[in-house]
This record gives sequence, C-alpha cells and structure tokens, in this order.
Amino acid sequence: MNGPATEAGHLTDTLLFCRALRERGLAVTPSEAIDAVRTLNLVGLDDRQEVFFGLRCVLTSRVEDYPVFEELFEDFWGRIARDPQPRKLVEREAVSSAKQQARVSSRERAQKGLAFFLDHWGSDRSDDLEGIKLPGASSNESSAGKDFSMFGADEIEEVSRLARRIAKRLARVPSRRWKPVRRGPRVNLRQTLRRSLKVGGELIDLSFKQRKQKKTRLVVICDVSGSMDIYSRLLLQFAFALQNSFARVESFVFSTSLERITGHLKDKSYGQALDRLSANVRGWSGGTLIGRSISAFNSGWPKLVDKRTIVIILSDGWDTGEPEDLARSLDSLKKRAGRLIWLNPLLGSPAYQPLTRGMQAALPHIDVFAPLHNLASLRRLERHLVL
Amino acid sequence: LREEARKIQEMLREQAYIADASVATSLYLAMAIGKPLLIEGPAGVGKTEVAKVLAVALDTRLVRLQCYEGLDANTALYEWNYPKQLLHIKLHELAAGRADDSEASIFSESFLLKRPLLEAITCPSRPPVLLIDEVDRSDEEFEAFLLEVLSEFQVTIPEIGPVKATHRPHVVLTSNRSRELSDALRRRCLYLWIDYPSLEREIEIVRARVPRIADTLSAEVTRVIQAVRSMNMVKVPGVAETIDWATALVALNTLQLDREAVEETMGCFLKDEGDLRRLEAEIETGRLEEILNPAS
Repeated sequence: MNGPATEAGHLTDTLLFCRALRERGLAVTPSEAIDAVRTLNLVGLDDRQEVFFGLRCVLTSRVEDYPVFEELFEDFWGRIARDPQPRKLVEREAVSSAKQQARVSSRERAQKGLAFFLDHWGSDRSDDLEGIKLPGASSNESSAGKDFSMFGADEIEEVSRLARRIAKRLARVPSRRWKPVRRGPRVNLRQTLRRSLKVGGELIDLSFKQRKQKKTRLVVICDVSGSMDIYSRLLLQFAFALQNSFARVESFVFSTSLERITGHLKDKSYGQALDRLSANVRGWSGGTLIGRSISAFNSGWPKLVDKRTIVIILSDGWDTGEPEDLARSLDSLKKRAGRLIWLNPLLGSPAYQPLTRGMQAALPHIDVFAPLHNLASLRRLERHLVL
Repeated sequence: LREEARKIQEMLREQAYIADASVATSLYLAMAIGKPLLIEGPAGVGKTEVAKVLAVALDTRLVRLQCYEGLDANTALYEWNYPKQLLHIKLHELAAGRADDSEASIFSESFLLKRPLLEAITCPSRPPVLLIDEVDRSDEEFEAFLLEVLSEFQVTIPEIGPVKATHRPHVVLTSNRSRELSDALRRRCLYLWIDYPSLEREIEIVRARVPRIADTLSAEVTRVIQAVRSMNMVKVPGVAETIDWATALVALNTLQLDREAVEETMGCFLKDEGDLRRLEAEIETGRLEEILNPAS
C-alpha cells in the first residue's frame, strides 16, 4: 500500500473522515486534520489497531467523542484498507449529505419533551400568551404568582436578573488567591521590595495583600422528561444566566440517562445555546430514571461535588426506576455536597402530596425541598443558595 | 515505524507499567508530533503513573506541577527570593553605599526561584517530562495561563525578558473531570481516556507490580476487584487498590482467598463504610464463592 497515488487517496479519505467527525460535533479543526495526516505517516498503516488508537488520540478531545469516532472509523478503515485507489470526491459528497439527512430525521424523531420546546422557543418569545407587557410589570405580585407555563419574554428577563443577583451573592467567600490592596492583613513582599529600590533598598512603605473572594460551586441537574418540559426550560434559562455571570456552574440534564450540558451553555446568547443544546443532546424521551441518572453523575463526575458545592435537582419525582437506587445515590451525593436542594414544580399546587415512591425515597436525603413553579418560588430559592 | 510504539510499550513494561496499545501509541505520537498528552479516566487507573514511568524509561527528569485551587502563575512559574534580595541590598549598602546598580543585580537569575514550569523549560541537558497533574483542580484563569506556556514554550519575566525553552518538554496532563476543561486546552492536546483494565491485563499488572504473588492468588484478587467494580460502589476501587490489596495479602502470607481473608482485608480496597457493608451483604449471599469459582 505505497506509492503516491495511494498517499493521495489517504489524504482525501482522511480529510473526509475529519469532516464527517466535525459534522457529528467533534472539535476537529484543520490543525487536527494536519496532525491526523502526520499520524498516518507515523504509524503502521497495515495495523488497524494502531491506526485506530493513533487517530483517536489526535481527533477526539473527550471520552464522549469515542463512540462517534468508533462508528465513523469503521467506514474510514474500510476505505483505506480495502480500496487503495483514490475515489471521486462527488461520490462521497453524496454519502455525507445522505448522512446529514439521516441526522435531521433522527432529530425530528427526538422532538418530544424539552427538545420540542427548545426548537420552538424562539418563536414562543415573540407571540406571548398574555400579550406584551411593559417592562417592570413582571415584578408585580400577579406575575410573581403566575405559573411558569404561562410565561412571556419580560418574565424571562426577570429570571436572568435574579440569576445575576444570586451569582453576586455566591461570589462573596474568601479564596486562596491574593490581590494587592492599600491596607491589608499581609505584607506583599514582591511589591514592597520593588518599591524599596527607589530609596536604596530601605523598607519604608509596606505593600499589602489580601485574599480574593471565593466562589461557591453550583451543580444543576435538570429532569427533561416529558412531564417537566416547561419547568426545565425555565431552570435551564436560570442555569444559563447563572453560568454566564458566575464561572462555577455545571449543568446536567437527564431523562433516562444523564448528559452534561455545561459546554453547550457557555459564552453564547441564550438562543445560540438552545440551538446547540437541541442539536447535541440525545435521547429526550418519556421515561425517567432518576436514581440511575444520579448515580451516573456520582460515578462520572465524582470530584465535581465537594462541601462548597450546592447541588440543585429539578424533578417532579416521577421515577420509573427502583426507589432504593434513588435513595442510595442521593445518600452518597448528600454526603459529599454542601447542600442538596430538590425543586419540585408540583409542590406549588396546594393539593400536591409528595407520595410518589421516588419522592418518598428521596425526602430523607435532601436538605431543602421547595417548589419551583413561579417567580416567587425562584426568589425564595435565593435564600437557600448559601453555604 | 510501528516498532517505536512497541519500544515504548517495552520500556514501560521494564518499569513494571503494563501499558496497552492505546497508551503506547498515544505516548509515541505525543512525542513524535510534539504535542501535550491529556489523560483522563477514573481515579486509580494509573494516569499519573504514565508520566512518572515515562520519565524513568526515557532516563530523564520528571518535573511535576500539582494543580490545586488557587494555584497561580507565581507558584507555577517563578518567584523572587526575597530574603536573599534583602540580604544582598544590605550587604551592598555596607560595602559601597550605592543602590543604583542593585536593581539589575537583585533581579537577575541567581535571585530567581524556579517553579515547575520554568524548571521544565530551562532544563539544561535533555527534554524532561513535565507532568501537570490534576489540571481540572486549578481554576480557569490558570488554565488560560497554562495554555500560553504550552503553545509557545516561552515565558516572559518582566525583569529579565523572554525565556525560551532549551528543549521542549514532553508534557503529560491528567484530569479527573472535576470540572470541564476548556475546548482551547483540549484542542492543544492529544487525548487519551484510560479505563479500568480488562481482567487479563489487570492480572498481568498485579503480577508485574507484586512479583512475589502466587498465580492463583493474583487471579483471585483481580476477579474479586473486577466484580466489586460492578457493584455500584461509592468509591470504586482502582488498579492502585488492587495492587495495595495484593501486596497486603502477600505480606500476610495468604495463599488463597476465602471469606475470612476477604473480610479481614477488604479495607485495602474499599474506603467507604457503606461500601464495606454492601460487600459484606454480597458475601452473605454467597457471591464471593461465585466470583472465586466462576465455573461452578
């Protein structure tokens, strides 16, 4: 498998492979593509395993990328191993556009629950159910008591404002980093010495330093199964606003399995973030396995939670899994977290009793059990978000 | 060319590190392409060990930067030696009485305390292995700083000027995923996920690390540990725990595992009270016998 013709074939194959990976959401930039081509020159091309491991370490950047890589690698390997002749580009264009179509249709299939809302969110914002309100109207009692299912654009703005306020409060804890100050508890040797040089090394004026503020960490785990979509939309908006005014927020969503969405919520406008979410998050579906999702969180991200972490779970507690699993996973989470808060939108209705088996199993392990169904309840949440 | 990867595997094996093909290939490529290697995986699978063993295998220095929250550029890069500076100024004063030229002299290299990053890029003889351990524990500001150093291998000390790497160190970063690393950092690195090893490989690891262990015992120990990993424990035992346990059993002259031996020594690999109780309950149901005699 040598000679210039084959080399060229590999080059196109490799680039197409990179493009296919990029289409499936991997961060494969031209720089990775260059490394991939270099890799093929460095490993034995007849050794499938070595090509696989070599390209994998170059082209993926997190373990979540592995399954997609594995899937597409089959295709790529089939081409370079079986057919050393370079093929026409057109042929492959067709392949990749067919793939794209498959993606779209699978996306349509997944448009239930939150995904549906995510996709229709932009349009929702303009044609508000209640008509457009004056700014400031959202702070009055009637809207504070209004259920989130009836929400308009200005209330959403209020949610962001609230998130920013909570973020500010959370930020007021001393950190281990220092900053120079005019008067403070410790001498800043570096600056003092530097200043002393002006007067021949005599220590006359001391410079000081003090600790910076430390930020508490927040983990938001949000149920996005069918019954929860209106409320999870709100909590996601809240998480998004928090995350963008406060660096230490980690966000997860779950229905039957758990997914980390922190990256999707970062540094974008809310609309962009939602687009990215609905394109990237798999398996929004009917069932809910809370226990399994929480234990997936415990084992997958064990170091995310420590005593300075506040964990917020948003779910209505309708669990199709075993209550023992839920109790056990919550217990182990509770032991490590600074505070465990469970928000249940159903708690807002006066007739509701937490009688579902899941909720019963969960109650002994949580610090705060509170409703989240309107702005007033979100404001009350502020009180619980301190350590 | 494949020999090179195999050679790395062999070199690691000589240091009693049993690396599978993915580890060896990744290390080889990281060195060949000259990019840092980011290693992630559950606790106790030997992520840090990769760098340590690599340094021994390449017969070069290991420079380790342990990350923690609040780690800043001063602690990672350099700091001035203040007591020495003060002393120098005072002595100078007594001798000549002039301070003008002291600025240049006290901010020179002999007053510089090199921290790991500077140490690694100014290594005189050959490229060292730079281990940036648990990078997820540092904060985002530090990550940005790290990115700068890793892309240029050059740092600027205001008083001295730019310091360029004499040799590009082999960089290994490890992360426990306590926080999501930035895409920028991930993109700068090759990526490797190390998972728990397969049964065969783990037996091989135990035999390499605990040479005095009997063949049957090593297989039994590993089988129990692998079964425990599937029991939904709070603290899942890593390979480090397997080795600890095997070492302990050898020290106690255990030749074969039985219920008593496991119950006496299970503290070696389970570090959570609830986990201990869960395993006890499993043993109660006769699970241990099932694990030890898979045939019957």
